[in-house]
Amino acid sequence: MVRADVANPLPGQVRRRSVGQRLMRALEPADMRPLRGFGLAMLVVAAVFPWVAGAFYTRLAIESLLLGTVALSVDVLLGYAGLLSLGQAAYFGLAAYISALMYLHVTQSFWLVMLAVVIAVGLFSFLLGIVAIRAKGVYFALITFSAAEILSKIAHNTREIGGSDGLIGIPVPSIPLLPGIGIDLHSDLAFYYFVLVGLVLLYLGVRRILDTAFGSVLRAIRDNPERVPYLGYNPFWYKLSAYVLSAQIAALGGLIYPLLRGFVAPHLLGFEVSTKAVVVSLVGGIGTLLGPLVGSVIITFLESFVGSYTERHLFVLGAIFVVFVLFLPDGLLGLTRRALAKRSGGRQ
Amino acid sequence: MQDLVSYLHFVVLPQMIDALIIGAALALVALGLTMIFGLLDVINLAHGDLYMLGGYAAFTLIGWGAGYWGALVLVPVVVAIVGWGLEELGIRPLLPRSDRAIVTLLLTFGVSLMLRDVAQVIWGTDTHAIEAPFTGIASFMQVFVPGYRLFVLGVGMLVILATWWLVYRTRIGAVLRAAAADPPMVASLGIPIRWVHGFTFMYGCGLAGLAGVLLSPIYAVFPTMGHDFLVMAFAVVIVGGMGSIVGAVVAALVLAQVQGLASLWIPPVWAETLVYGVMLLVLVVRPGGLFNRFGEA
Repeated sequence: MVRADVANPLPGQVRRRSVGQRLMRALEPADMRPLRGFGLAMLVVAAVFPWVAGAFYTRLAIESLLLGTVALSVDVLLGYAGLLSLGQAAYFGLAAYISALMYLHVTQSFWLVMLAVVIAVGLFSFLLGIVAIRAKGVYFALITFSAAEILSKIAHNTREIGGSDGLIGIPVPSIPLLPGIGIDLHSDLAFYYFVLVGLVLLYLGVRRILDTAFGSVLRAIRDNPERVPYLGYNPFWYKLSAYVLSAQIAALGGLIYPLLRGFVAPHLLGFEVSTKAVVVSLVGGIGTLLGPLVGSVIITFLESFVGSYTERHLFVLGAIFVVFVLFLPDGLLGLTRRALAKRSGGRQ
Repeated sequence: MQDLVSYLHFVVLPQMIDALIIGAALALVALGLTMIFGLLDVINLAHGDLYMLGGYAAFTLIGWGAGYWGALVLVPVVVAIVGWGLEELGIRPLLPRSDRAIVTLLLTFGVSLMLRDVAQVIWGTDTHAIEAPFTGIASFMQVFVPGYRLFVLGVGMLVILATWWLVYRTRIGAVLRAAAADPPMVASLGIPIRWVHGFTFMYGCGLAGLAGVLLSPIYAVFPTMGHDFLVMAFAVVIVGGMGSIVGAVVAALVLAQVQGLASLWIPPVWAETLVYGVMLLVLVVRPGGLFNRFGEA
């Protein structure tokens, strides 16, 4: 016997997938199929990493994952909406400052801080987004760039929030999950898994959001901005939503960052973090979502490695930038995807 | 009343003259940016670093005995050649791509990081002072202005006028404007568009180098000078309208006045922030900037 609703679904009664199926689907959008195994392999490596590496590298890995949120936010904008933001660090840094100030002066409750960050970043990105997105094209990159610069300058010049020294001595809280169960961030291992699990959930969530009709409209706007309005969609609101979403993604990284390093400084808002996020997405592969995370880990470790030989890490960063723009515009994941797709033949 | 007049005379007027000089130099940098954007659709994020390179090149050339006047002539040429290399090796291969506005922006960003680091390797992180070629103070109605600043103003204005003349009154300018409006048509008339692009890029970079030399005796030469100036030049170009020559000059002069006058009453760092506030305001009212693009109108 065939159940009627499966054989002949009524409108609005489409077959529901199980949670597991939906999670797998989130990992597996149509054009990313060859990368699923790659993503899972990365996850396994990430899961065993702190057992193999020492404390220093574990903390470096946490930092790379947190900076990965900024790269992910760049990718949501550039890879899906076709908007290049050179100021995503503004949200990372803004969240870091709010989080630091609240821990120092207001509350020790992680969830309250998070709420404040989400609201503040949401408001700020909404207002700036209206201005930046209305001013089309390359202006968007310049406005986001300037806005981040302004914030960085303000942080630099306001003595009340530490000026150029930033804020130090931020206490490390423990994060209550369920009544009685909490995560003690003093332990590097706990911190690492907390961030890793958080990032995987964030990735799946973003993937899921962009797999909906919303994501399709964004891609349509990226590929053919003239045509989308004729189909009845207003690109402005879609871009603005993508912008606010990406701001929140970067803010989640910034929210945790002060707990890792115990300080915040104006450079977190500045162009170096923003730029690095763009380099990282470019290296990982724009439009892949997974690429920026992988790229962030690679570049952070590379920088640490290069940094132990030379202080010229800006030069190295710039050179990587130039090489990828000129010769490898698909990034590492683009290359991997192509190689895997070729090997598996016409299977897709 | 008497107080107000003397306040305007001795406090506001000198500040405005100073701002005018900064505005002229800013206009030189912004002109290059806006011309390159108008013709190539390229936002040159390395422009600030070319300005910095101008300052450092002047420092080195003077150290080698070229003298200030030698540097003034040679530096724009050197910086233009660096710009030509950048255009030839980096930007030209990317121009046929449909997303060229974004990829060239990324490329020049990378180049900018590299230039800044190279400059630190060669010249270190110290601030280098450069001596003005002449001293002396001009006075007019009891307002005193260092002679060198007047000289900067004069050269700046002269070069701006020359650029205007070049673009709007010569055959080369006609080609440039045509190439901004309709490159395939210009190419089909037998004009090598590649040279047009190369020339524009070199000219724009040369202007940045010139601004670097001119301002170096006033502000000295230090590693982040390019970055600081670039953000300001962007504000100018955005307010004036990307690709507009008149817009770049007008906006540079106006924004320099805003910053100069505001810093009389509020701390200078906040005056700079105010400039960006003006920029955002203009964008809210006129998202495309105040003036038309190069090649249109």
